[in-house]
Amino acid sequence: MADIAVNRWGPLDPRVIIGFFHVQLRYRDQLALDDVTFSISNGEFVCITGPSGAGKSSILRLITMDLFPTQGQVVVRGMVSTRMGRRRIPHLRREIGFVFQDFRLLEDRRVYDNVAFVQLVVGAPQAQVKKNVMRVLTQVGLWDKRDRLPHELSGGEQQRVAIARAMVNSPKILLADEPTGNLDPVTAQEIIDLLFRINDGGTCVIFSTHDHEIVKTFGQRVMVIQDGRLVSDQERRIPERDRAPRLTERMYQPGQDHA
Amino acid sequence: MLRRGQLAYLARESLAGFSRRRLTTGVTILIMGSALLVLALFVLVALNLGMMLERARAGVDVRVFLVDGLDAERQAALQPPFLAVPGVQVARYISKEQALAELQRELGDEAGLLETLPENPLPASYHLELAPGHRDADAVARIAADLRRWPEVDDVVFSQVWLAALENWAELFRWGSLIVSLVVLVAAVFVISNTVRLTMASSRRVIEIQILVGATDGFVRSPFLIEGMLHGLFAGIVAMGVLAGGFHLLSLRLAGLEFFSLGQVAGFVLFCVLLGFLGSMAAISQYLRLRKTA
Repeated sequence: MADIAVNRWGPLDPRVIIGFFHVQLRYRDQLALDDVTFSISNGEFVCITGPSGAGKSSILRLITMDLFPTQGQVVVRGMVSTRMGRRRIPHLRREIGFVFQDFRLLEDRRVYDNVAFVQLVVGAPQAQVKKNVMRVLTQVGLWDKRDRLPHELSGGEQQRVAIARAMVNSPKILLADEPTGNLDPVTAQEIIDLLFRINDGGTCVIFSTHDHEIVKTFGQRVMVIQDGRLVSDQERRIPERDRAPRLTERMYQPGQDHA
Repeated sequence: MLRRGQLAYLARESLAGFSRRRLTTGVTILIMGSALLVLALFVLVALNLGMMLERARAGVDVRVFLVDGLDAERQAALQPPFLAVPGVQVARYISKEQALAELQRELGDEAGLLETLPENPLPASYHLELAPGHRDADAVARIAADLRRWPEVDDVVFSQVWLAALENWAELFRWGSLIVSLVVLVAAVFVISNTVRLTMASSRRVIEIQILVGATDGFVRSPFLIEGMLHGLFAGIVAMGVLAGGFHLLSLRLAGLEFFSLGQVAGFVLFCVLLGFLGSMAAISQYLRLRKTA
């Protein structure tokens, strides 16, 4: 359970799961992020957008505390970046799932092992490993293909395996860094729908993309990053009919075959 | 605490590097084994040299010849002062008559010669044996020089003057082998650390994902540490095996030399495991550091 954190800018709203306070990130000589402040509440779905290299990935890496701000503070699940011991970082990461543009599956392991591996790493009891792997692989519709190797699957399927892997430890936060970047529009929409369904289950999802077409289909909060600055952070409540048409009308159904 | 599932996982990962790259693993073990063989050989020679020295020193005896003209009582009274000299363990008195009898015994058939002498020409003497810590060439020479200053003492003779030469040589060898050993050790650690680096490079993605999903540093490191230690273990066994085999084959010519005791063999192999540990530790730390700055 996250305890209530207090920092220079006062006590934090207990609903806030991720807080950035005047974050500056200097990367060698370059200013990757400058005075970025925002907070994200439990269960939100947030889209971070902006051109490539604007600082989207830096924000995600600050959240996993792979990077630390040169100024300001990052608070995730009540853990404060400026008071974070190295030994506690693994515990933070167990509450965060991460999905990449290039999937990053282990090519020499079956789908099942790719997901189970994460449970073994964190020391889940053996009896629960199979149950959890089955739950997430069913959720992404790939339980039937659990014995396949990654290269035997389509790009969309590989990304779904990656999402299952990110979700198997039941994280409170799912970070998706350009998860649709390598996918065609139809498959991309399936992945986005899957992320929405994960969000419906209560997981906070942060989705980064530079693709405006995708952003336009969203009715959710969109943060725009440009040259390391947060230039817009809008809680959009766009009614369904005013949104851009979906990338595809084809809905993803669990168990459906997309090979 | 690690759970059973984690242990099984770590064991599988540790052995994966071995089975995936049998050739690299084999070559690593051979190279490292050869380096360690050189090391073991040096240690073995040094050990035997030490034992030879010890045996030679045990044989050192010092004879103190007394000036002529002391009466028997004075001669006998010298025993306590001799024993009081630091390092002297036994002081045995040999009178003129005993010395003559000894010589007669040694001459055997030709003992008749001695009867032609007008008087007994042999001096009375003391035969000193030294305590273990005082048998090296320096200590013996010091004691001899000290005794020569006594008015009752005519001369001091000690056997094995070559002891000093042997000691010098052994000293030289010890320094030489120390330097060679250091070079060999660095080489062995380097070879292991290189191989572990290869394994880590090919496990880049596994490491990355482990870190991402919250594996502790120790968990990420352990398969590679275990792999390095296994390399050390096998290399140590190879080195000891070859050395023992060679020793056995040449045993007739090398009669009198000794091989390592079982405890020493175990100690050496354990030391090799430690080298493997250090080598892989170096590789892992470097890898994780580079990853951070990437």
